[in-house]
Amino acid sequence: MSQADLSVEMRPGLVGKRVKRTEDPRLLSGNGQYVDDIKLPNTAHVAILRSDQPHALIRDIRVDHAMDVPGLIAIFEAADLEGEVRPAIPSSRIKGYYATPYWPLARGKVRYVGEPVLAVVAESRYAAEDALALIEVDYEPLPFAIRQVDAVADDAPLIHEEAGTNIIIAREFGRGEVDAVFETAPVRVGAQFRMTRKTATSMENRCYLADYDRRRMAVTLWTSSNIPGIVKDALADSLSLPGARLRVIAPDVGGSFGGKGSLYHEEMLVCALARKLERPVKFTGDRLEELTASSQAFDELIDAELAVDEEGRFLALRAEVIGDIGAYSIYPWTAGLEPVQVVSFLPGPYRIEHYRGRVRGVLTPKPPTGPYRGVGRPSSTFAMERLVDMAARKLGMDAAEIRRRNLIDGEEFPYRTGSGIIWDKSAFMECLEAACAHLDYPALLERQKKAREQGRWIGIGLSCYAELTGIGSRIAVAPGMPINTGTETGTITIDSTGSVIGAFGIASHGQGLETTLAQIIADELGCALEDIEIRQGDSSLVPMSTGTYASRSAVIAGGVAIKTARVVKTKVLRAASILMDVPVEDLDASGGIIRARSSNAAMTFKELANAVYMQMGRIPHDKREDLTGSESYDPYLGTACSSCHVAVVEVDPETYGVRVTDYVVAEDCGRIINPMIVDGQVHGAVAQGIGAALLEEIHYDDEGQLVTASLADYLLPLATDVPDIGIVHIEADLPNNVGGFRGMGEGGTIGAPAAIANAISDALSPLGIEIQTLPATPDRLFRLVEQSRATHLQKGQ
Amino acid sequence: MKPVAFDYVRAQSVAEAVAALTSSGGEGKVIAGGQSLMPMMNFRMVRPSVLVDINRIPGLDRIEERGERLHVGALVRHRMTASDPVIGRHLPVLHAVMENVAHLTVRNRGTFCGSVCHADPAAEMPMMTLLLNGGVHVASPRGERVVAARDFLLSSLTTALEEDEMVTGIALDTLPPGTGWGFEEFARRHGDYALAAVVATMEGRDGCARNVRVAVMGVGDTATRLPGVEAALEGQRVDEDVIAGAVERLRAEIEPNSDLNGSADYRRHLAGVLAARVFRAAWTRAQEGGAA
Ligand SMILES: Cc1cc2nc3c(=O)[nH]c(=O)nc-3n(C[C@H](O)[C@H](O)[C@H](O)COP(=O)(O)OP(=O)(O)OC[C@H]3O[C@@H](n4cnc5c(N)ncnc54)[C@H](O)[C@@H]3O)c2cc1C
Repeated sequence: MSQADLSVEMRPGLVGKRVKRTEDPRLLSGNGQYVDDIKLPNTAHVAILRSDQPHALIRDIRVDHAMDVPGLIAIFEAADLEGEVRPAIPSSRIKGYYATPYWPLARGKVRYVGEPVLAVVAESRYAAEDALALIEVDYEPLPFAIRQVDAVADDAPLIHEEAGTNIIIAREFGRGEVDAVFETAPVRVGAQFRMTRKTATSMENRCYLADYDRRRMAVTLWTSSNIPGIVKDALADSLSLPGARLRVIAPDVGGSFGGKGSLYHEEMLVCALARKLERPVKFTGDRLEELTASSQAFDELIDAELAVDEEGRFLALRAEVIGDIGAYSIYPWTAGLEPVQVVSFLPGPYRIEHYRGRVRGVLTPKPPTGPYRGVGRPSSTFAMERLVDMAARKLGMDAAEIRRRNLIDGEEFPYRTGSGIIWDKSAFMECLEAACAHLDYPALLERQKKAREQGRWIGIGLSCYAELTGIGSRIAVAPGMPINTGTETGTITIDSTGSVIGAFGIASHGQGLETTLAQIIADELGCALEDIEIRQGDSSLVPMSTGTYASRSAVIAGGVAIKTARVVKTKVLRAASILMDVPVEDLDASGGIIRARSSNAAMTFKELANAVYMQMGRIPHDKREDLTGSESYDPYLGTACSSCHVAVVEVDPETYGVRVTDYVVAEDCGRIINPMIVDGQVHGAVAQGIGAALLEEIHYDDEGQLVTASLADYLLPLATDVPDIGIVHIEADLPNNVGGFRGMGEGGTIGAPAAIANAISDALSPLGIEIQTLPATPDRLFRLVEQSRATHLQKGQ
Repeated sequence: MKPVAFDYVRAQSVAEAVAALTSSGGEGKVIAGGQSLMPMMNFRMVRPSVLVDINRIPGLDRIEERGERLHVGALVRHRMTASDPVIGRHLPVLHAVMENVAHLTVRNRGTFCGSVCHADPAAEMPMMTLLLNGGVHVASPRGERVVAARDFLLSSLTTALEEDEMVTGIALDTLPPGTGWGFEEFARRHGDYALAAVVATMEGRDGCARNVRVAVMGVGDTATRLPGVEAALEGQRVDEDVIAGAVERLRAEIEPNSDLNGSADYRRHLAGVLAARVFRAAWTRAQEGGAA
């Protein structure tokens, strides 16, 4: 037992500190291990022959020439896997929904350009691509409707005949007397808003490696996924394998932004092929495949209207939404994930008594839409925040003032929105005020006035929103989805050397969760941060896991980390009490040292572990217990994370180039675990939102071909497009969950498109232009300005 | 996205490179910086049987003053064109232009001559070669010939280069000290291929613009000089009226295409906007230069 230096103060907590990310030394020194870095002997490589047709029957496949390519192992079509792989069915409780089955390879028919048709397996990817180039597929083209407005028509060609319709999902939310209120409302504003299709584009492409263990007849899949737990459960079913013989590991993952958050054809494929060929099989996607065959995002047409009284109070809101969901309902989230959330979140953080939102999700021959940072809310916030500004403009009211009058505040919490979402108390109003204060809003308005007098087009845009995060088992994170994503299991073990190992079901892919969870455990358990290793991204760690998505991990895994650490701490102090001969009540631990409050007695975790596990007789045999705990946590409900963004833009009045010059985010994410990580999440997400607002657009031409098939055409934001971002953290009332945390990984992408659209509209307001489509490209602005000038000219005559 | 199998020859001399191209029977390709060629090979849009690597050929990596002209060797990288003091002295406009070409990593490898051989309609180097009356030095088994830039650049991604020929360098005009210049380009993001770019040079003598040169890119199948616009400025005091006239002329002369990043109408509008800025800047500099 050592004597602790009493002059050393009890260490203050790590939660709330800018602790450097423990992941970074390995990642920044090139020692990360991504799936493609894993090389197993005798690995076979797959290239996928993908459909070049948007909608067609597969008539004939000729592979003869390909078979002679040196290094070719085999070519598989769907029929070769029949009976070995069952489809994944993205089921939902929503009435009238049709779940499109999800197979590894197209069966008889292709439904989008990029859909996997054949798997070409060879000794190298080069050889596989050489063989692939020699395969001929005869297609019989089928008619199709590529745009959602056409695909909803009764006589539109069907993508899935079995469904009997292209509209495989529809929902309506609402309350009150919407139409009646609109009848008599003094002010009405409305428009058709369009958030064009995007895709997530992380730096690491999708990559999968499956290994087959002949001895155990077991499959291990390494996957660049942020939902390894869900993938495991899906594959266990699809491959008819008991969980004990299937392990899914997500090692270091180079970003996802939602794009790696669904089950993919290729994941099913490499597992099935590894089992069939009894050797490791790897698929490493390239950028072309990433853009043509990963999940896509948004693509809603939102017809929305807001009714307001003369004082700017919101009376009623109604919307009709058509979501272009692509050719399949994504597994496991379903086709409801993106479009249904648009109508459930449209009312935003505002007090709106009367609401109706209707949505239809329609099949088109494109890759499915799936999760994308912010899900649904970037679109809904764009539409709602545009309506708010349009109403303010009509009333001649300041943009901040109209928000002030309508944000839910104070005693109104908890507030139930017209769509049934419950906002627990969060700093809606405080965020607005803080963001305005940070930028000195009145001075900003003055600056804008001066600039306008000089002929410069400067605009200021606000956007307020709230999202539901850390959602427990009460609600599905994807509307109607039957999988429980609200529970998290954690295990914390102190081993015989004093190492603290925390194992969780989450799957960090850039969020720094190894750091934040370690901070939490260090505080709760009292051990040293350096002694903690967080294990995650591996289905074998906990009985059931899902992964990291939907702003859940800090809240739910953080919560279970606290609960479990408390259990282990009790055991630590019980053992210390015996070893130190000090009553438990007199003991506490911090920074890896257990101390007595009323004496100088102290011992380290290392000494304690050694005594508990190794030294016979130090603890009476009937009192000795392992220093380990395993708990689960379910916050049941979700918690609101709110924020206000303010963007200042300058539009070149001649070229219509847009530059974001100033940016501020004020956000309430509850108790902040690590401000540096929160800042990083905000910076990254705002950058992504700038991309959505100004640059990124997945475009399919009338032939159903993707024309933005490289990063020269699908434009991501560069460092030069992102201004310095001011961030104000507001820790107001903490939410009612174990840690007091709110999820904040997605927020920036939700607020930024709306704030920038509002800022551009503000800049162009002298011309009466309201932005309705994002991205606001120079070409789109040019056309809007030309139209506006033509109209003014006509009016003038 | 893997290239088809190819052979590789590392040429030690121009003669060896040309010989390798010749023996490939038209299937060979020169590789310089690889910044355009490699992506096309990975997409399998280009399938050379042999890559003739010219990077180790001595003597091609220089910018030399040869009389009134500057000779830019086949291995002069964008980075060098952007920062070389010889260029700074004779062609400050080229420095300004090069700042808009791609990003540092690409500029460290990509070559001026490679860009001209690639002949992308939205690339800066072909436009500058046209502006500066470039002479493309071409080597083949038949010896060396010099092809004028306007005869070399045929259309989008198409040049007058024969299969067994390689470019050894490009000779560019130097501009007299004090020549005014202006350059503007507009791209969706910094370093991207431009939606439109305009460059102009002019000398200011006796209060008038002389030796006016104007070139554009991104607004047609190839970069191009605009003689009509040059004529509209030549000998004029470049005031706002003259500029407006020249801009109108320019908008009439170009035939931009529509693509994802911009419609033909927008590009035509944009080229005019940039042109006006360029003419103003060039005129201002010309007057300052003339006074000096
Ligand atoms: C991300 C990115 C951004 C870019 N942005 C821009 C931009 O903004 N503006 C711009 O102008 N360019 C841009 N480029 C292209 C870049 O400038 C290329 O470097 C250039 O176009 C080609 O030069 P290279 O030396 O790399 O040629 P390579 O790629 O090696 O060759 C290109 C073609 O020219 C032929 N070739 C090359 N040298 C010779 C020779 N001496 N004789 C005969 N044939 C030859 C090759 O056979 C090939 O067909 C960009 C490229 C990238 C990757």
